[in-house]
Amino acid sequence: MMIIIILLSGGIMLALALFIAYTLGWANNALKVEVDPRVEAIGVALPGANCGGCGFVGCSDYADAVVHKGASVTLCTVGGSSCAAAIAAIMGVDVEESWPYRPAVHCGAKSSQRLGMMEYRGEKSCSAANITGGVQGCVYGCLGMGDCLRACKFGAIEIVEGLATINYAKCTGCGACAKACPRNIITMVPFKSDRMLVVACSNKDFGKDVRAVCKVGCLGCGACAKINTLFTMQDNLSRIDYDKYGDDTPQAIEAALQKCPMKRLIYTGKPSSRDIDAVASEKAQDIVTDSFATTVDKTTWKG
Amino acid sequence: MDYLINILLLAVGTALINNFILHYFVGICPFIGVSRRVDMAFGMGAAVTFVMTVAVLLSWLLTGYILQPGAPLSTWLWRTFGGDASVTVDLTILNYIVYIFVIAFAVQLVEMYVRKFFPPLYKAFGVFLPLITTNCAILFACLEIMKHVGGAQYWDIGTSLVYAVAGGAGFTLAIVIMAGIREELDHADVPKPLHGPGITLIIAGILALAFMGFTGVDKNLRAKLVKDDSGAPAAKSPQKAQKPAAPAIMEQ
Repeated sequence: MMIIIILLSGGIMLALALFIAYTLGWANNALKVEVDPRVEAIGVALPGANCGGCGFVGCSDYADAVVHKGASVTLCTVGGSSCAAAIAAIMGVDVEESWPYRPAVHCGAKSSQRLGMMEYRGEKSCSAANITGGVQGCVYGCLGMGDCLRACKFGAIEIVEGLATINYAKCTGCGACAKACPRNIITMVPFKSDRMLVVACSNKDFGKDVRAVCKVGCLGCGACAKINTLFTMQDNLSRIDYDKYGDDTPQAIEAALQKCPMKRLIYTGKPSSRDIDAVASEKAQDIVTDSFATTVDKTTWKG
Repeated sequence: MDYLINILLLAVGTALINNFILHYFVGICPFIGVSRRVDMAFGMGAAVTFVMTVAVLLSWLLTGYILQPGAPLSTWLWRTFGGDASVTVDLTILNYIVYIFVIAFAVQLVEMYVRKFFPPLYKAFGVFLPLITTNCAILFACLEIMKHVGGAQYWDIGTSLVYAVAGGAGFTLAIVIMAGIREELDHADVPKPLHGPGITLIIAGILALAFMGFTGVDKNLRAKLVKDDSGAPAAKSPQKAQKPAAPAIMEQ
């Protein structure tokens, strides 16, 4: 009796397994979908971060778009030029020269340098503070409530003294922060070298109005544009034409940087050896760790 | 008519009162994991409903014909191999393994089929379809079917399928409500220790409390339906009205 039950169970499981294996094997053939081998190869070459920085839903969607919709091979910002070269090799096309696009914060004012600050008790998010109005004098500048910080999947943004600061060692250039910023202060800039020149201000008002709201904002004097054609004035704000930016540019524009009254033309990216030397002797701050006691005690309910 | 009323009450009971997530607390992993955005939550719910229906259909057939005590196919095999005719063949020990097997099979087959014939749907389901293989809500539905195929309250195949679809609908409802709340939650100042799953589980608990408000809806609904039903045709068929009310379907 026992042995027959065991045999019966085993037999039924075996029969079920055979039936399922056969059905799946048949279905695998009958319901096969032809996939272009290039799509799979590109899928392997891509980093698989699924960040959406290329403008497609994910890495597999981008791979499909490259093969079938003729999307450019250089769109993956996370993979960079090596990834673009790999995709170009698979597709058999030449890769045009491309630079990694990295975010740059077009605001340089720390909390202490902003004027007209009001006490803000609303939701602690830039998008909410932006529509509230009157939070700070400058309606163009960084609010420092960290929408970009929360949008970053790679932990590459910190809020330092109320100003969004990008950690370029961690940044992959997916552009999520640029999309999250309600004031469009963060833009994606082609980093043609490790350090890139950016205009650290977004204020489009006249100089007098800028002075009223910020200690360090761009006045729109146009001094830089008079010295070098790299700079153009637009809406009372200096703009950099990155197409003209080359290897010898830093020497050529040294005078313009010196002339700028507010020193709003700054290099961002990898710190220069001079900057590193300047802080080499300073003692680093202790790392602050979360503790439940302080978190709970100092949190005030703002909901 | 009784049958239809029973089916309707079963559907209401499964989707709202005995909601898989908010009453039985099965299928919590997708409930917490895939409830960030409403469209993704809806995709997950649709995929679960789909697979649940297929898995319940297969497990109903397997339970009825092979697994339950005295099932026709296994009894026939037993006799063919010279077993004692007076013994009831009972293969219920295989229930769990067979259900898991069948669910995995159904997911694989459904994925291939959808990929071939409904590419947009395949794209919408995305990664959720393979994930459902390990969704305990599906296994739970199969086990309920097991209870009712051999048990006192017999469910025929139509009732079982309605149970599966209503269960999937209830799952979808719960996960979409959750996703809607969580989308709004992004704008709220949640205390730091509660970020992520913490606040989600608290909300799930409150939702479950809210859904307890549906308790008893089926009894009132039945009273209404049976009264309306027996009111008009009572003159024609008085013997129908005298029938005792069917026992409540849902076990509370």
